[in-house]
Amino acid sequence: MTDTADNIIIADKVDKYYNNGALHALKAVTTNVHRGEVVVIVGPSGSGKSTFLRTLNQLETIQSGTITIDGVDMYARGTNINKLRENVGMVFQGFNLFPHKTALENVMLAPLKVAKRSPAEVQEHARELLYKVGLADRMENYPSQLSGGQMQRVAIARALAMRPDIMLFDEPTSALDPEMVGEVLDVMKSLAAEGMTMVVVTHEMGFAREVADRVLFMEEGALLVDEKPDAFFDNPEHPRLQQFLSKIL
Amino acid sequence: MHEPQKKWLWHLVFAGCLGLIVLSTWLVSQKVDYPWNWQRISSYIINTDPAEITAPGDGTIELNENGQLVLNLDNGDPAVLISDYTTLEVTDGDLIFEGDILATVEQWEFGTILHGLFITIEISIYSLAIALVLGLITGLMRISTNPALRNLAIVYIEIIRGTPLLVQLFIAYFFIATVLELDKFTAGVAGLAVFAGAYIAEIVRSGIQSIPVGQMEAARSLGMSYPKAMIYIILPQAFKRTLPPLAGQFINLIKDSSLVSVIAVVDLTKAGREAAGSSFASLEIWFVVALLYLLLTGPLSWAIQRLEKRLSASD
Repeated sequence: MTDTADNIIIADKVDKYYNNGALHALKAVTTNVHRGEVVVIVGPSGSGKSTFLRTLNQLETIQSGTITIDGVDMYARGTNINKLRENVGMVFQGFNLFPHKTALENVMLAPLKVAKRSPAEVQEHARELLYKVGLADRMENYPSQLSGGQMQRVAIARALAMRPDIMLFDEPTSALDPEMVGEVLDVMKSLAAEGMTMVVVTHEMGFAREVADRVLFMEEGALLVDEKPDAFFDNPEHPRLQQFLSKIL
Repeated sequence: MHEPQKKWLWHLVFAGCLGLIVLSTWLVSQKVDYPWNWQRISSYIINTDPAEITAPGDGTIELNENGQLVLNLDNGDPAVLISDYTTLEVTDGDLIFEGDILATVEQWEFGTILHGLFITIEISIYSLAIALVLGLITGLMRISTNPALRNLAIVYIEIIRGTPLLVQLFIAYFFIATVLELDKFTAGVAGLAVFAGAYIAEIVRSGIQSIPVGQMEAARSLGMSYPKAMIYIILPQAFKRTLPPLAGQFINLIKDSSLVSVIAVVDLTKAGREAAGSSFASLEIWFVVALLYLLLTGPLSWAIQRLEKRLSASD
């Protein structure tokens, strides 16, 4: 788009196959994300949008192409994937909170054990984050004592605790009861307003229209549309996108 | 609301059944032509036979100037003072030959059965500790993506699970212990540990695999290495889930340790066999042995249930 130096994520011709090549899950997906940009990926289920998101922190490996995160080529020799992942927070559809740890411990674990920051500092930061996501009174609760929306907000705080530059959201509201979707989206909106670089896979078109800088449309592993929200939703040109939007809006 | 009121009735039924079993066992024991003699086994548990002080050589008993009895030896060695006794067996002027009892001392010591019990406890603790480490390592190897590690684990598990423990103990004792010059106790511990390790490996594997994939993904996406994710996230959760089968395995290990008696380790079972042979009270001995095994496994079972309850605080 503009100058490439400001691209914190560069995905170039990313190809992924499943089942020894029987399924072509990602077809030469190429896109860049600027620092501070919010990119929303939409598409029908099975379109490869979650798969693509998961390649950005190597939860899925790719067969060809390159992915560069903050100037580091993910597949170059000598790249420490753990170091790279510290800079890329991830929020899952199923929360994946650690059930044997309290909310506070969930948030504190990685900074203590991975970043090896001082316990006092980590705890203060964790409390701050939980306060920010509106769970100041839930810090000592175990995940099993929290609602879905609360768990997802803890998960966001947990990812933020590593002070990442990039946040990935994999359908963060899909597993939530409808009345809890709003509280999670509100946290994400405030995060976007603070200038966090975010890549979000979601079915929340309202969120995409309101918060996204760009919206991507994927189908059958291919990236078909990359537009600003207005153009994406109001003047969709691609016939497949028109079809998709007509079904969901 | 009707349920709780009926409960006491069923507790009563339970107590009644138990009483019936005890009563019929007692009746049967009266019918068989067997002289029950429980007193006879006490010395196999606590031995209260007095210790004997014997003469080191031929001589004569005399009173010395302090009024104490001494044994003047014929061979010219210094006289032996008879002291620290409970009961005297000799008096002034007695002629003594080597090996005669001069006096006895009251004392008690653990009998054969208790010594066997201690050996069983020792064997169980050692082999349990080794088996846990072995099982954990093998379990992790079993789920590794590295074919060498995985296949090694599979071969180990299949060989051990596919052959009887008794045969393994014979091989451990007659072959491996001979080659490596191990004593029978070490051979027994090693045999039991290798046996239980294979089963614990499978328990560890199933425990780890029962943890949702998302837990590992969440840990890794926070920048944790695979070992860190295992240590802080996966294993603590897997441990909780594997406690019930692990408890069963521990109890099995204690019971299986009775098989080391075949390689001449004097554990509880072997001690029981010796005592049964010499006491002419074999039925009583075996009842006591069974009770002692129960005393080992019972508290273990109870302790693990307590631990399970405590760990379920986060559920």
